[in-house]
Amino acid sequence: MVDETREIQTREKQAVEREATREGVLFRPDVDIVERRDAYVLTADLPGVDEEHVKVRLEDDVLSIDASLAVEPAADWVPLYNEYRLGGFHRQFRLSDRIDASKISARMRNGVLELELPKAEAVRPRRIPIQGA
Amino acid sequence: MDLFGLTRWPSDPFGPLDQMRDEVAGLFRRWDRERTAGRGQVYPPVNLYENEDGYVLTAEVPGVPEEDLHVSIEGSRVTLRGERRIEYPDQPETGVHRRERQAGIFRRVVELPLEVDADKTEASYRHGVLLLRLPKAAAHRPRQIAVSRS
Repeated sequence: MVDETREIQTREKQAVEREATREGVLFRPDVDIVERRDAYVLTADLPGVDEEHVKVRLEDDVLSIDASLAVEPAADWVPLYNEYRLGGFHRQFRLSDRIDASKISARMRNGVLELELPKAEAVRPRRIPIQGA
Repeated sequence: MDLFGLTRWPSDPFGPLDQMRDEVAGLFRRWDRERTAGRGQVYPPVNLYENEDGYVLTAEVPGVPEEDLHVSIEGSRVTLRGERRIEYPDQPETGVHRRERQAGIFRRVVELPLEVDADKTEASYRHGVLLLRLPKAAAHRPRQIAVSRS
């Protein structure tokens, strides 16, 4: 259960180490991963990112999320005070179960990515009916 | 709290703007340290900019629907509050593999260097980022001085 009265605290964004060829800073987004019987649901915080600036790829069993900011600060904004750094996001996951790649669905809402990764039929748990004697 | 009581502006009134900017940033840091002593950093993190019209304040609050986000302005003080809800399905056969995102309530006061015009402030919330455009109050707006020929 989520404690509704808990106060949120800011955690500093964690930068991702990348090869020098990539431009700009990339951060590691916070994620939740919940497993349902038929699918995994991955939720990632990507503040400042819209659906046109996020790429999700599944290659073999590696899922990659890459995102960049939809809006950059205007040229005439002089920074006075910065508490959070601006940049894109990158994170990869190795999936242990077989995923039906053709049925993956993704949605962006309020800077949050929601990915549904349906399990392949073969790996879904099956309930075996037990009959009385 | 009187921000300006603590400020020592450069004695040269035409002194480097950068120095003033650093002083303002220093005040913010000091003020936030005082506020949050013994606690983690307050949420949400904010960035403050200045442009010709006034200030631009941005805050990262992903996943908070607009109706749960509240902004109020009084003088030079901006208050942000709201709630970030994360609902996990509570069903059998469900497992939580990772849980990094935080849920809860937040309340944050940001003190701006100068008073702003609350009535002319515009707020937008896009892609999880709150953006406030805060024009400076009329008394603090730069004035164009007409130069007449003698």
